[in-house]
Amino acid sequence: MDRRSFLTAAGATVSVSFAGCAGLGGSDEASTEASSTDESTATGTSTGDAGSADETLVVGTYSAFVDSPSTSPGAWVKQRFEEEFDARLIWQTPSNEVNHYIERRNAGVDIEADMYLGLNTDHLVRVDENLDDSLFADVGDVAGQNDIKSGLQFDPDGRAIPYDTGYISLVFDGTATTAPETFDGLLAEEHAGDLITQNPASSATGRAFLLHTVKQFGPDGYLDYWSDLQDNDVRVLGSWSDAYSAWSGGEAPMVVSYSTDQVFADQNDANMEKHQIRFLNDQGYANPEGMAIFDGADTPDLAREFMGFLLRPEIQGEIAVRNVQFPATESADLPEDYAELAQEPPEPVTFGYDELKGSVSGWISDWERQFASN
Amino acid sequence: MARDFDGGVDDSDSETATGTASSPSRERGRTVRNTIERRAIVGLAVVTIALLLGIFYYPVATVFIDSVLVDSRWTGRVFVSILQDPFYFGEPARFLAGEPVGAVIESVLSPDRRLGVIGFTAYQAALSTVASVALGLPAAYLLARYEFPGRRTLRSLTILPFVLPSIMVGVGFVATFGQNGTLNAVLGAIGIGQVDLLFTLEAVVIAHAFYNAPLVARVTTAAWESVDASAVETARSLGASPFRAFRDVVAPQLYPSVLMGAALTFVFTFSTFPIVLALGGFQLATVEVFVYRLIRDLEYAEAAALALIELGISLGLLYAYLRYEVKHTVQSRGIRPLPRRPLTPPSLSVRELLPRMGIAVYAIVALAVFVAPIASMILASFSGPEGLTLANYQFLIDRQTTGASFQVQPWDAVRNSLLFGVASLAVALPMGVVVAVLTTRDYRGRKLVDAVAMAPLAVSGIVVGLGLLRGLVFGVEVGGSRFAVGGGLAIIAAHAVAGYPFVVRTVAPGLEGVDHTLVESARALGAPRARVLLDIELPLVWPAVIAGSAFAFAISIGEFSATIVLASGTNQFTMPIAIERFIGRRLGPATAMGVVLLVVTSASFLLIDRLGGDEVGF
Repeated sequence: MDRRSFLTAAGATVSVSFAGCAGLGGSDEASTEASSTDESTATGTSTGDAGSADETLVVGTYSAFVDSPSTSPGAWVKQRFEEEFDARLIWQTPSNEVNHYIERRNAGVDIEADMYLGLNTDHLVRVDENLDDSLFADVGDVAGQNDIKSGLQFDPDGRAIPYDTGYISLVFDGTATTAPETFDGLLAEEHAGDLITQNPASSATGRAFLLHTVKQFGPDGYLDYWSDLQDNDVRVLGSWSDAYSAWSGGEAPMVVSYSTDQVFADQNDANMEKHQIRFLNDQGYANPEGMAIFDGADTPDLAREFMGFLLRPEIQGEIAVRNVQFPATESADLPEDYAELAQEPPEPVTFGYDELKGSVSGWISDWERQFASN
Repeated sequence: MARDFDGGVDDSDSETATGTASSPSRERGRTVRNTIERRAIVGLAVVTIALLLGIFYYPVATVFIDSVLVDSRWTGRVFVSILQDPFYFGEPARFLAGEPVGAVIESVLSPDRRLGVIGFTAYQAALSTVASVALGLPAAYLLARYEFPGRRTLRSLTILPFVLPSIMVGVGFVATFGQNGTLNAVLGAIGIGQVDLLFTLEAVVIAHAFYNAPLVARVTTAAWESVDASAVETARSLGASPFRAFRDVVAPQLYPSVLMGAALTFVFTFSTFPIVLALGGFQLATVEVFVYRLIRDLEYAEAAALALIELGISLGLLYAYLRYEVKHTVQSRGIRPLPRRPLTPPSLSVRELLPRMGIAVYAIVALAVFVAPIASMILASFSGPEGLTLANYQFLIDRQTTGASFQVQPWDAVRNSLLFGVASLAVALPMGVVVAVLTTRDYRGRKLVDAVAMAPLAVSGIVVGLGLLRGLVFGVEVGGSRFAVGGGLAIIAAHAVAGYPFVVRTVAPGLEGVDHTLVESARALGAPRARVLLDIELPLVWPAVIAGSAFAFAISIGEFSATIVLASGTNQFTMPIAIERFIGRRLGPATAMGVVLLVVTSASFLLIDRLGGDEVGF
C-alpha cells in the first residue's frame, strides 16, 4: 500500500473499494452502510442512474428482515413488489438500525432512504425524545389501513403503521419442568434458577418481559418483584441468541422468547414437547412492528403504495410466515396449520406510546441500577 | 521535530567523500537512494500521524466532545455526576461527593462495601489478568524451551482464540462448561461431582483467559526466543546454578513482556462487553455494557463521559507499564537463542522429570480451557436436531449460490477478511515500526506519546464505530459539497490503526534493548537511519516483529464495529459480520461460518510464521 493512494483516499469524495462496488457520489450520497446498492452484479454506479425510467424505493430495515439463516421476507417482498410495480426496491440495513437515521438527521446529512420498516413503540419514543426536527412524516392515506387490528396501532401521531406483531411469552422444555401459570409462580422454590431472560436495554424480548412486569406490578412494584426474581436466581443474559442458545443447551428449562417458537421447532423437526409456550397470567406482551415514511423522502407516493401492498391479505400472510410473526391485519391469508403452531395469547397486553414516553428509559435504568449493583 | 526523529544527527555530507571512484551517474543514483533512506523515517512518521488523526483521533473526538459540550455549552457536570455516583464509583464516589472521609473509609472497610460498576469492572479485569498470565506463562515456557514435533505449528496457532467472535466462544463454553457440558461428563465419569460454572464470575474469568492467555504466551515466547544464550553461558561458567542463571539473566529479559501481556489483558478485559453478558449475566455488567446502552439510547453526554473515564483508566495503566518498561530493558548485543530441550526426558532424574510433569499437568488444563471449547464449536457446526449433519455447510453453499445481493455471501466474506487482513498488515507494520522508533528516542514526555499512541487498544468499540460514522461516513461539508470516506480503503486504514499498537508494543522493547553502540557505529560509518533499522535493529528483534504482525493480522480478522460502519455494501462484509448475520434459532449456520473463520485464520497464522522465517540466528 503506497502512501499516495492513502492520501487520496483520505481526502476523496469517492471511496474506492476492491470489490468493485458502488462509489459514494458527492451530492448523490449512495448508501454507505450495509446495503447493496447494486443489483448482485458489481457495476460501478448506484442510485440515481440516468436512463432508468423506473422509480426507486429505498427501504431501511433491520438485517434479520432481509438476511437471516432460517427464513426472511426481504427477498420475496422485493421480487413480488418489483414484478407488479415499475420500481426498484433497495433494502438498506444499517447496523445501528433506526439510530443511524437519527444520527444522519442530527448531523444534517441527507437521508437516502424513503421509509423505514421495523419500528416499534420505543423507537418512536426515542426518536421523539432526541430529535428536534421531524424524522418521519405523517403517513396519509394507505390502502388497507382499516384492516389493521385495533390495539396494534401504536403511534398516536399517525406516522407509523404496523405490518406485523410478535407476542413475547415463556418457552419451556416440557420434559424438564412445567412453567408456572403466573408471575408469582416464578418466585417458587422449585423454579429457582429456571428462567433465562435478556438484557432489557439491548434485546427486544428482554425489554418486553421487563415492560410486562411493569404492566403487572406497576411502576412502583416491579422493582420489588425483580428483587425477588433475582433472589430466585433468574439469569439475565445479553442478547436473545445468548439466552436461547443457553436454554437450548439445557442450562435452564425456561426462556423468554416469542410465542411462535413452535413454528421454528416444526421447521427443524424438533420434539414439540421441548418447545412449550406459557402465557403468564394468560397474557402475552405484544410487540407490533411498524413502517413509516421519512420526512423529505424522494418518493413518498411510491412508499405509500408499498405500504398498501404490504397490507394486502396474501402479502400479510406471507410476511407473517417468513418473519415468523403474526399479521397486523384482520384480513390476512394464513396457512391452515399456522395457528396450531403459532400461539396467540388469550389477552394481549402492551404499553402505548403515551405510556412509554418519558417513562421507559427511567424504568430501565432504575432496573439496571438495582440488578447490577456491585 | 524532524531532527529529533532523525536522532539529532544531520549527516547530509557524510556520503560524498566515499564516492570518488564510481561513475557520476551511479553516484547520483546512490545519493538519491541515500536521500530517500534518510528521509524515509520522517516521511513515514508524517503519514502515520496523518492516518492516525484522520482515521482514529478525529472520529473518536467527535464522540468524546459530547461529554463536555452539552447543548452547545461547555460543561464539566457530566463527569462530576458520574464521579459522585456510587453506582459507578462505589464508596469513593461518596468521598468525591463531599462526605466526610472517616465515614467513607469506614464503609470501604465494611464487608458490604460497594465497588460500583467501575470498581467491579476493574476487579474482574484484575482476576482475568491473573488467570491469563497463569495460563499463558507455562505455554511460553513450553514453546520457547522445549523441542517437539509440531512445536512451530503450535506456536503459530497459539493466538487463534484471540480472533474468535464472542458468539463462538459462548457456544464453545456452554458446550464445555455447561451443566450438560463435556467437563461435567468427564467429571461424572471419573466420579467427581458436577460443577456449576456458567453464569458466574468464574466462567467470565475463564473465558477472558481463553482470549488473553494466548496473548501473554505469544509475546513472552517471542521475548524468550530473543534471549542471547551467551549471557546465560557466561553466568554458568562463572559458577551460577541453572536456577540462578535463569533468575538473574533470563527472567529480567522476560519481565517486560509478561507485564506487557498482563497490561494489555487488563485493558482488553476492562472494556469487555458481549462475553460478560453471554456467560455471566447482567449482575456482572461492566462499564462497556453501560456505554453501549447509553449510546443506543442516544444519551451521548453520559456515554462519552463514561467511555472517556474508561479510556483514562486504561491509558493510565498503560502509561505506568511503559514507565516500567523503559527502566527495565536489558541491553543485548546479539541473538543466539538458548538451545531447546527435548520433551522426552533424557534421563529419569528428578531434575529432568519435575518440569515435564508440570508440563503434563498444564497440558490437561489447556485441553479443558482452550481445546475443548474450540472442539465444541467445531462439533456444533456438524450438529443438527437429528445428530451429525453437513446441513450447516450446505447452508453456506446455498447462501453463496442463491443468496440475494443484500445478503451476506460466505466466500466474499472470506475473501474480504483475507484482503483486509493482508492489506492492513502491510500498513500496520511500517506504522508500528515507525512509532516504535519515535517512542524509543530520548525526549521529554515520549512515554506519554507512547501511551496516547496505544489509545486504539483501549477505546470502546462502540465509540469508534459511532465516531467513524460521524467523522468519515457522514463526512464534512466543504464549500457546498460533502467529503465522505467509506469502503475498502477506509476499512483497511481502520484495521491498521486498530492493529498497529501490537507491532509497537512487541518491537519497541526490543529496539530499546538493542546495544546503542551498534547503532552508533553504523551511523558513524555513514549509514542512514532507515538502513540501520532494516539491517541491524529489526533483525535483532525479528521474533517480536513476527509476533506483532500476527497480532495485527488477528485484530483485522476479528474486527467488527469499524468494518460494519465503513463497508459500502454486503460485498465488503467480513467473516465476523457473516457470523453475526447467520445467528438464528439454531446456531448451526453461524458455527459453520465460525469454523470457516477458524480454518482460514489458522492457515494464515501458519503462513505468517513461515514467511517470517524461523528463529533468528539459524
